[in-house]
Amino acid sequence: MGEDARPNWDSPVQFLLACVSYAVGLGNVWRFPYLCQMHGGGGFLIPYLLMLFLEGVPLFYMELAIGQKMRLGSIGAWSAINPYLGGVGLASIVASVYLCLYYNIINAWSFWYLFNSFQSFLPWSDCPVNSNLTGPLEECQKASSTKYFFFRETLNISSSIEENGGIHTGQVLCFVLAWVITYLFIIHGIKSSGKVVYFTATFPYVVLVIYLIRGLTLPGAIHGITYMFTPKMEELANPTAWINAATQIFFSLGLGFGSLIAFSSYNQYNNNFEHQAFTVAIINSGTSIFASIVTFSIYGFKATVNYENCLERMRILLLNSFNLAEDTINKSNVLDWIKTLNATYPEQFAELGNKVEDCDLNDELDTAVEGVGLAFIVYSEAIQNMPLPQLWSVLYFIMLLLIGLGSMLGNMTAITTPLRDLKILSKVSNEVFNGILCLIFLLLGLAFTTPSGNYWFTMFNDYGASFSLLFVVLIEIITVSYLYGIKRFEKDIEDMLGHRPNWYLKIMWMIVSPLLLIALFIFYIVNYIRGGTPTYQAWDKELGKTVVTDYPIFGQVFIAILLASAVSCVPLTALYVYCTNRKHSTSIKESAISA
Amino acid sequence: MSGKVIFLLSVALSSAQQLCTPGASDGYKVRLSIRTALGDNAYVWSQNELFLFRATLAFAMRNHFDGQDFQVANIIVCDETPRVSFWFVVTWPDDATRLVDGGEVEQAIRKSRKRINSAFLLNDWTLEFVGIAPTLAASQLPATPPWLIAFGVVMGAVGAGFIILVVSAAVQKRRKKKENVEDVAEDEDSDVEAPAPKPLKNGSVRHEPSGVSNIAFSDDERVTQM
Repeated sequence: MGEDARPNWDSPVQFLLACVSYAVGLGNVWRFPYLCQMHGGGGFLIPYLLMLFLEGVPLFYMELAIGQKMRLGSIGAWSAINPYLGGVGLASIVASVYLCLYYNIINAWSFWYLFNSFQSFLPWSDCPVNSNLTGPLEECQKASSTKYFFFRETLNISSSIEENGGIHTGQVLCFVLAWVITYLFIIHGIKSSGKVVYFTATFPYVVLVIYLIRGLTLPGAIHGITYMFTPKMEELANPTAWINAATQIFFSLGLGFGSLIAFSSYNQYNNNFEHQAFTVAIINSGTSIFASIVTFSIYGFKATVNYENCLERMRILLLNSFNLAEDTINKSNVLDWIKTLNATYPEQFAELGNKVEDCDLNDELDTAVEGVGLAFIVYSEAIQNMPLPQLWSVLYFIMLLLIGLGSMLGNMTAITTPLRDLKILSKVSNEVFNGILCLIFLLLGLAFTTPSGNYWFTMFNDYGASFSLLFVVLIEIITVSYLYGIKRFEKDIEDMLGHRPNWYLKIMWMIVSPLLLIALFIFYIVNYIRGGTPTYQAWDKELGKTVVTDYPIFGQVFIAILLASAVSCVPLTALYVYCTNRKHSTSIKESAISA
Repeated sequence: MSGKVIFLLSVALSSAQQLCTPGASDGYKVRLSIRTALGDNAYVWSQNELFLFRATLAFAMRNHFDGQDFQVANIIVCDETPRVSFWFVVTWPDDATRLVDGGEVEQAIRKSRKRINSAFLLNDWTLEFVGIAPTLAASQLPATPPWLIAFGVVMGAVGAGFIILVVSAAVQKRRKKKENVEDVAEDEDSDVEAPAPKPLKNGSVRHEPSGVSNIAFSDDERVTQM
C-alpha cells in the first residue's frame, strides 16, 4: 500500500455533486429542447423517461460499480475485469482526449460573449455600418445581427474547411483563459475538483430558476410553452423519436468516457453508489426538462417579438404604398387590411410583390434550432430584446460557462486518473502532470481558433465522441454481463453495498440494454452508409446563411481516423496482450526446460 | 388691370403645377410619420406646417448655393396625401420655369438634414426623403475594446488565484517537512514509551503500525450514510 494511498472524496456529497456537474452539460440545454420540439412536444417525454430507466440508470449504475470496486481508472479497471480488454479503457481515453481538445472552445466562446456583454449596447443587437455610412454592412443585413456577430466577429469564419488563415486574437485569449481555469480546477486532482463542484453543480440551477421567472413573465412566453407541451402523439409512431430519445439519454449521462469510473474509483469501498446513481440520473433528466421549459418560454418571447416586428413592417409597407393616414392601420388590424386592400386594389397589391410577408406566429415558433446556434444565436437574439439585457446576458453566459467547465472537469479526470495509475507516470507530481496535459491540449486546440476552426469543431463534435462511445459501452455491458459474469458482478456489489442488486437491474444488464445499444449501433452504421459523403454547413458570405457542403478528401480521411482510432484500441490491445502472453509463456517454458 | 394680374397669376400657377408632378426626375417624395415619432404629442399636419416645410427647404437651398436668394415660392409642392406625403420640386429664384437639378437638391438636403429634422421634431427615419438615404452615424470604436478590459480583469483574478494556490501549497509543504523533522527528533528521544496505536476509521485499533489493513474484513457498518 505505502504512503501514497489513493485520494478520496471529502464526503459522498462531493462525489454526488461531481457526477451532477459532469452529467449536466451543454447537451441538456441545447439538444433536449430541440428534440422535444422535433418529436411532438410533451409526448417526447414518454420515450425519454422510458429510455432513462431501460438504458440510462442501469449503464450508469454499472460504471459506478466498476469504478468503486476496482478502485482504478478505466485502463486498470477493465484490465482487472478481463486482461484482454484493457483496450476498452484505452478507447475511453482516446474519446476523452478528442472531447477535451474541442470542448473548451465552447467555453472560449462563452467567455467572449460574456466579456462583450459589459457594454451599454450589446454588440450583437445592431449591425455595424458600412464604409460609405449609407447602411448596414451587406453581410449583416442578409443574415441577422446576431448571426453576423457569431459567424463574423466571434469566429471570423472562412467559407470552407479548406481555407485557413491567421488566428482570432480574441478567441485565443479566451481559449487560454478557459484552459487556465480548467487547470486550476484539476490542479490537485480531486482534492481541488471536489471543492470546485460545490459551485459548478449548484450555481447553474440558481441561474435557471432566475431565468425561469424572467422567462415566464416575458410577453408571449405562454405561446412557446403551450407549443412545447401540446403533445403530438402521432410523432411517437416515428422510430426516429425513440432512437433520438435513446441516444440523448446515452450521451447526456456521459457514459463510456471513463469519467464515471474515474470518479467512483475515489470512493470509499462501502459508499452507497446505488442511491447516488438513481439520484444523478434523475437530476440529469430533470434538469433537461427544466431547461427546456426555460428555453421554450424564451422561444415564445422571441417568436412573439419577431411576429410583431413583421406586423409592424407590413403596416408601414401598406401605409406607404397606399398613402393612408397613419392611424388607420394598427397592429391588430394589419392582417384584415391586407385582405381588404388585396381585394380592392389587386394590381397595386401585386406590384408590391415579394415585399409582402406572411406573418405567422406558428411559423416563427416552428424554427427549431439546436446546438451552438441555439445557445449563442437564438438566445442572444432573445436577450437583446429583454429590458436590462446586459444583466441577463452576463447571467446566461456564466451559466453556460459553469456547465461547460463542470463537464471539462469530468473529462480531464477521465484522462488523468487511468494515466496516473500506470507506474511510469505515478512518480510525477499531480500538479506538473496535469499542467503538462493542459498545455498540450491548449496548443493542439489552438487549431480551433482559426477561421476554419468551427468546421473542425463540428467534425469532432459529430464524429469524435459519438459512435466510438456506443461501441465502448456495448463492449462494456457485454463483458460485464457475460464475460465477467453477472453472478460475479452481483457478488461484488453485495460486497460493497450489503445487498444484491434488484432483479430489474439484472434484466436490464443482461438483455434490454445490450439489445438497445446494438439497435443504436446498427442505426448509426446504416445512417453513415446511407448518408453518402459526409457534409457540413459552410457559411456563405454572399448569401448570409449556411450552405450544405461536402467534406473534402482530407476531411473524410480525418473522420475515418477519428472513428477508427478509438474503436481499434480494443482489438489491437487484445492482440497485444495475447502476443505478450504467448511470448511470456514460451519464455517460461523455455526457462523451465533449461533449468 | 386687376383682370390681367389675375390672368398672369393663374398662368404662373398652372405652369408651376405642371413643373411639379409625382415621379418628376428633379423632384423628391417626402413622407412624414408624425404619429409614429411623437405618439400622443403628435401635431396635426396643416397648411401652416407645409409652409414651414417649404421655408425650411428654402433655407437649405440658400445654405447650399451661396448668394442665391431662394424664396418660399420657389418650393413647389404637389400630390399631398392623408399619409402625410407629397412631392416637391425646387425652381431657381431668378427663373421660375427652370428646375434645380435633383443632385443639387439632394446635396443641399444632406447638408442641412439635421436642421430640417429638428424643425419638425422628427429624425431621419420619420421624416423620409425617398431616394436620399440617411447618413448613419459611424460606429464609435473606443480605443481599448471593452471586452479586452473585462478579459484583463478576469485573467488578473485567475492569475492571482493561481499564484496564491502555488504559494500556499509550497508553504504547506515546508511546514510538513519541518514537522517531520521534529517528529523524527521526538521519536529518537522518547523510546521508552511504545508509539500510540493509531485508530482506524471503523473504530478498531491497529496494534502493529507496520501492518496492512484489509478493509474487506472490517465487520462494522457496511453501508455509509449519505
